[in-house]
Amino acid sequence: MSTVEAKYVWKIYDEDVIAVKDASFRCENEEFVAVLGPSGCGKSSILRMIAGLEDITKGEMFFDGKVVNNLSPRDRNVALAFESYALYPPLSVYENIAFPLHARGLDKNEIRSKVQDIVDALELSDVLKRKPSKLSGGQQQRVSLARALVRDPSVLLLDEPLSHMDQRVRAVIRARIRRIHDELSTTTIYVTHDQEEAVALADKIIVMNLGVIQQIGTADDLFNYPSTQFVAGFIGEPSMNFLGGRVESQNRLAVRNGDKSVSWAIAEDIPSSHINTGVVVGIRPDKLEASKTSTSSGIRAKVDVVEFLGDYRILTLSLGEKVIKTIVPTDFSVSIDDTLWLTGLPEAIHVFEEKSGEALIKAKK
Amino acid sequence: MAGLKLADITMKYGSLVALNNISFECHEGEFFTLFGPSGAGKTTTLELVAGIKKPTKGEIFIGERRVNDLTPDRRDVAMVFENYALYPHFTVYENVAFPLTSSRRKEKLTPSQKRERVDEITTLLGIHELLDRKPQQLSGGQKQRVSLARAMVRRPEAYLLDEPIAHLDAQLKVSARSTLKQFAHQRGTTILYVTHNYREALGLSDRILALRKGNIEQIGTPEEIYESPASDFVARLMGDPPINLVDVEIVSENGKVFFQADRDFRFPMRQGLLPKLEGISWEEDGKRVVRIGVRPKHVRVSLQKLSDASFQLPVYVAVREAEGNTITFELTNSFFLAKVDSSVHPEVGENVWVEIDQDNLYLFRKSVELTK
Repeated sequence: MSTVEAKYVWKIYDEDVIAVKDASFRCENEEFVAVLGPSGCGKSSILRMIAGLEDITKGEMFFDGKVVNNLSPRDRNVALAFESYALYPPLSVYENIAFPLHARGLDKNEIRSKVQDIVDALELSDVLKRKPSKLSGGQQQRVSLARALVRDPSVLLLDEPLSHMDQRVRAVIRARIRRIHDELSTTTIYVTHDQEEAVALADKIIVMNLGVIQQIGTADDLFNYPSTQFVAGFIGEPSMNFLGGRVESQNRLAVRNGDKSVSWAIAEDIPSSHINTGVVVGIRPDKLEASKTSTSSGIRAKVDVVEFLGDYRILTLSLGEKVIKTIVPTDFSVSIDDTLWLTGLPEAIHVFEEKSGEALIKAKK
Repeated sequence: MAGLKLADITMKYGSLVALNNISFECHEGEFFTLFGPSGAGKTTTLELVAGIKKPTKGEIFIGERRVNDLTPDRRDVAMVFENYALYPHFTVYENVAFPLTSSRRKEKLTPSQKRERVDEITTLLGIHELLDRKPQQLSGGQKQRVSLARAMVRRPEAYLLDEPIAHLDAQLKVSARSTLKQFAHQRGTTILYVTHNYREALGLSDRILALRKGNIEQIGTPEEIYESPASDFVARLMGDPPINLVDVEIVSENGKVFFQADRDFRFPMRQGLLPKLEGISWEEDGKRVVRIGVRPKHVRVSLQKLSDASFQLPVYVAVREAEGNTITFELTNSFFLAKVDSSVHPEVGENVWVEIDQDNLYLFRKSVELTK
């Protein structure tokens, strides 16, 4: 078990391609941390620098307070699982899991008891004699996980574990991975581009974009208090809507509505220095109140698309050039070309500075 | 535009039956989706309509025309695959106009007609101002709309779309879905669409055909498929997390009927359900058994006893979702999930009270194997 800490870490390829810029974060002992971002955000470079597969250009990486920059992957005692770390097809499940222990020269009985412990925890006892090709996708992933965990690593690194899984089994595998972590308490770092996955599994999420850490926080922090417009737009599906606006007073916004604007109340005060400046107004699709009759605070929008998704409907509306999405219950009857008036719920409105994209309210520092 | 009709279609690859005597009709202007897991026969069906493959038996109609003996280029349908990369050295205009210049086209367009076609489709898809750019100057979402425009610039009798947005990131997928649906609506196009993604099937379609190993399991509107699934197979393809399926014994005690699976998973059956069990339940090891289906959102969880119909289970794990939490319980043959609000977050192993909303309980025959 270990803490992992990065201090001012940079990764620069070919002298001028900056993959990771000045990243600092800390994973506590036994914590489940996700590194989340779109492709090319630098998350895989972070993972590889923790594992020791990639040199650190500048800055320091610590395991339990000790610098590991110059330690080989083996001496760091980290374990990698999934995606690109395939199982050995000719070996049985038991042999696959025991493999790293043989490589270490442990004796047979010791190996047997360690493998037994881990397959019990991962519920693989029934398939020990099978070959990987005879396993379901979920079982293969558990074997991969068992093989990573059997050597009792200080840190477990998971690389996009569920991205290619059928969604029917994903919920169950998510539950299993979280349960395994809760039982074994290995410090775990999980790299993914899938925000749903990160939210479901991690205690703490590090959001990256273009090599820069955008925010570190719990799922609730990121969802309710995004510190930048990027984080706000990346977390949540469908994405947060962004509208043009201007600060009227500390608790009122003028939100652009075609050529005119409407006034929205907000629940938290904006610093007075921003009065009369242009801002980006953010509102999640499920936090818009839709009315079929004209309201003074409603932005007027035309329904272009209605999608039934089982538990709710997603409406896509046009607002001049802008497209906006809102979620309504399935019993809200609405058709294409209807006009709706939409008002943001005051306590759910986010406001971002136009240039920097930084949150002016609802930001957790 | 024209409708599509398949009559008694069988498709065999050697001894393997890919499609087993299926018939269906996709009306003119309809958005019709073939939905099912891989290996169901979805793509084969599309290929038969396109003329890439010939059916072993049966007839295919496009509008009034029987097309069995027509080559693909004479059927006048446009097929779009999942992977449609743009030509990097072409501008957006050249990429979109490309299908109109193909030498095999029967319809010859003048340059100004071509320009008109491209203008129309790119305006509709909101990429008209990008016509002079090269693909590398576009965002992911823009590229995807350019690909779609290129696919849609032709005006065939019907579009055949095979997982056209499957490779997009989650958020792009959401916007691509609505763009596609808007396009279909505005142009009144006939679309035969293939997907294994239930959100696409529900969100896009006028009607859905659920395919299962070459057989039709159900045809219906998205609402019908979601609210009244014909089988446990269809039910578990819809929803994330998916519906819970549990085989329960029907137990009578002192004039009361209980559903029971495992020792603790036990609750009194709601009145009025008894007649519905007839013909659905089956006999197993001398017991009367039925498969119940309940969506995770119709399971309540509390630290306090909820009602006489509630029962206690130990928590396997609790997982945070974007909205609320998913609590997982482990039963002998399956996991059982509850979707609850974020105030409910019990510990692993903690005993909590569980109540199933029996107004939203489905009863099924057994047609799929349950696995953990």
